[in-house]
Amino acid sequence: MKNEPLLCLPGQRLCLSDKTHTSGQGTYERQGYIYSMLAGTVDIVEKDGVQIVEVHTKGEQTIVPVQGDIVTAQVYIITQQFCKCFIKCVGDTVLRRHFRGVLRREDVRATEKDRVEIYKSFRPGDIILARILPITEAHTYQLSTAENELGVVIAHSEHGHPLVPISWTEMQCTKTFVKEPRKVAKVVPENPKDMET
Amino acid sequence: MAVEYKTLHPQKYYNYYLANNIRPDGREFDKYRPIVLNVNSVETADGSAICKIGQTTVICGIKAEFCRPKAETPNEGFIVPNLELPPLCSPKFKPGPPSDQAQVLSQLIADIIKNSNCVDLKDLCLHPDKLAWCLFIDFICLDFDGAIIDACIIALMGALKTVTLPTVDYDAALDNKLVNIEERHPLKIYSTPVSTTYIIFDDKYILTDPTVEEENLCSGLVTIVLNADEVCCVHKPGGTALNEGQLFDCIQKSKKRSKYINELIVSAVKALN
Amino acid sequence: MTIDHKRINGPEETIPYELFQKLNTKSLTTQFNECSKDGIRKDKRKTDEHRKIFITTGVVSQAKGSSYIELGNTKVIVSVFDPREIPNRTDYSLKGEIDCEFKFAPFSCPKRKLQQQDSEEKHYSAIMKQALESAVCRHEFPNFQVDIYALVLHNGGSALSAAIIAAGLALSHAGVPMYDLITSVTLGLQNGEKLVDLTLEEETLCLSPIADSKSHGIVVLSLLSTHEQVSQFFQTGNLTLEDVVECTHLLTKACKDIVPLIQKTLAKHVVKNVKESI
Repeated sequence: MKNEPLLCLPGQRLCLSDKTHTSGQGTYERQGYIYSMLAGTVDIVEKDGVQIVEVHTKGEQTIVPVQGDIVTAQVYIITQQFCKCFIKCVGDTVLRRHFRGVLRREDVRATEKDRVEIYKSFRPGDIILARILPITEAHTYQLSTAENELGVVIAHSEHGHPLVPISWTEMQCTKTFVKEPRKVAKVVPENPKDMET
Repeated sequence: MAVEYKTLHPQKYYNYYLANNIRPDGREFDKYRPIVLNVNSVETADGSAICKIGQTTVICGIKAEFCRPKAETPNEGFIVPNLELPPLCSPKFKPGPPSDQAQVLSQLIADIIKNSNCVDLKDLCLHPDKLAWCLFIDFICLDFDGAIIDACIIALMGALKTVTLPTVDYDAALDNKLVNIEERHPLKIYSTPVSTTYIIFDDKYILTDPTVEEENLCSGLVTIVLNADEVCCVHKPGGTALNEGQLFDCIQKSKKRSKYINELIVSAVKALN
Repeated sequence: MTIDHKRINGPEETIPYELFQKLNTKSLTTQFNECSKDGIRKDKRKTDEHRKIFITTGVVSQAKGSSYIELGNTKVIVSVFDPREIPNRTDYSLKGEIDCEFKFAPFSCPKRKLQQQDSEEKHYSAIMKQALESAVCRHEFPNFQVDIYALVLHNGGSALSAAIIAAGLALSHAGVPMYDLITSVTLGLQNGEKLVDLTLEEETLCLSPIADSKSHGIVVLSLLSTHEQVSQFFQTGNLTLEDVVECTHLLTKACKDIVPLIQKTLAKHVVKNVKESI
């Protein structure tokens, strides 16, 4: 099963839908059967004695961010009340078309919300990790960085040199050693070499 | 990881590669992408060609119609080139009237046709002041991946060389036209202009035949059109300045390519017959 | 001709040269009989036989999903892009939208087409949208719009069907969730005969009534094959009720004939992806 991936196409009937098999990601249920809605490979995930039938595409997926997703975004405008970002990746998936997101002042951090100042947390050009909040407006995603693991991950100083985090509120320039305030994310880099400039 | 880094910091991503004298797609700075040319692909057109440079794809179709010559040039026909950059070819383009870029490129193509004298407008006249051919040359970009003008000019020459026009019996006194669809004759082509695009990256590297990613990030762009050994058009829309030596270098490179593309077009047209 | 300031304009008045050729004086009936004689058509096909179909995916590198189809001479290219926010909308919609644009290339038809969409192209866009809407799981991308662009490079008849087949495949190639694979076929009626997968010549002949025949016209039907659902039915001309039933049967069968081909093309794409990811 693992070695020989099972291919399926949209509209293909996969199996009966019963107590032991339920429809998961990439599938739908109609008249007691589970059908695929993507062209990809079938995966079966076992959970609480129930087999969840899922279909995944191996290439690029067409996805839109949903509530609760962690996204990578780039800040492009900051004001006193909020900062606007382009959402560039959802989880591990790189988006081809960017979505717009807004991060409000009160969602920057979990504590001392009233004393947050946007310009001391983010700067245009910064790459941040954020979580998607429930959608209230039709056209923009609301973001939040009110978690330790969320916030700025890549940033450059005023002179264009990369910054490295020195505490959860400050980053330091690698060339000039000037310290700049940021809402820093606590990240464990996967491969530190890739991020160096 | 590389993909993420590319979307977040494309400029830096490119600089890593260029510092090592290689481009992210594995080409050296002065290497071209492979070219594919297919002529007479669309039967409903009087002449047509599809040109592919790497992923960039342009289709060119020529349709001839009757018209009356202009009063100031009674013995000349018309050539009307238009380039469409439809939303189909790239997410950059939106539906609606042609973008500025499409307009600039259409005009550039018109200039190249005029400057290179590849078609003599007098050949298109059937009867002075009464009847002439109007060649509608429509370019449609099917895949927008850089160096679009190069692909357009190759497709144009491929299409022009396959144009056949029906013979016409024209009775000027009665204004009677009789077209013999079966009996067609080719159009005379006097020269073959060849265009080559270069970009200046980060003010120091000169890259040949850029992809769309490279075009988006570059600091300057120059298109050189050669007609045999003559320079027939140089298009440099702003950006970083080029010094004399660099420009001359580009022209030298274009010369070599011009020869190769000429042979390519000739062999593509020959394969048809 | 109105002047288009954003394009290079030709002379004010141009006339297609085809108008001045030696006139074809044969009557419609004889012309049609030449096209289809004893159940064998001009191109040696039977009345219910398809032309050669070539279909492939991934032709436009800049698009999320794309496909190219050749039905005989008809050549259509379709590309699909990532979902984007629906323009000019303020309310939240639970279902995503799809937007289709169908276009003939200026040189694709015997008569030159203008670059702007004409009413026929707009009509075809609407039919395409109707056909594809029920095939796409629109609840999977609420509040977003997926753009589908179809361009006919060469119209050799049945262009709309070709565009619908290619669009279905391109959507699947783009990873847009779909309920089913979609196929579409064009059928023509004239002089008591029913021809599947029309060429351009047959299309023109089926559109004008022949004096003594009851039914004439063109029917385009799109089918979701697994569930045997008709997602779109379009007809012009004049059909008797019995003919409608018979046409639907014929078309359903013809649509099913193409399904294995679509499956093969998609499977090829999936296999390629799986191999690349290992």
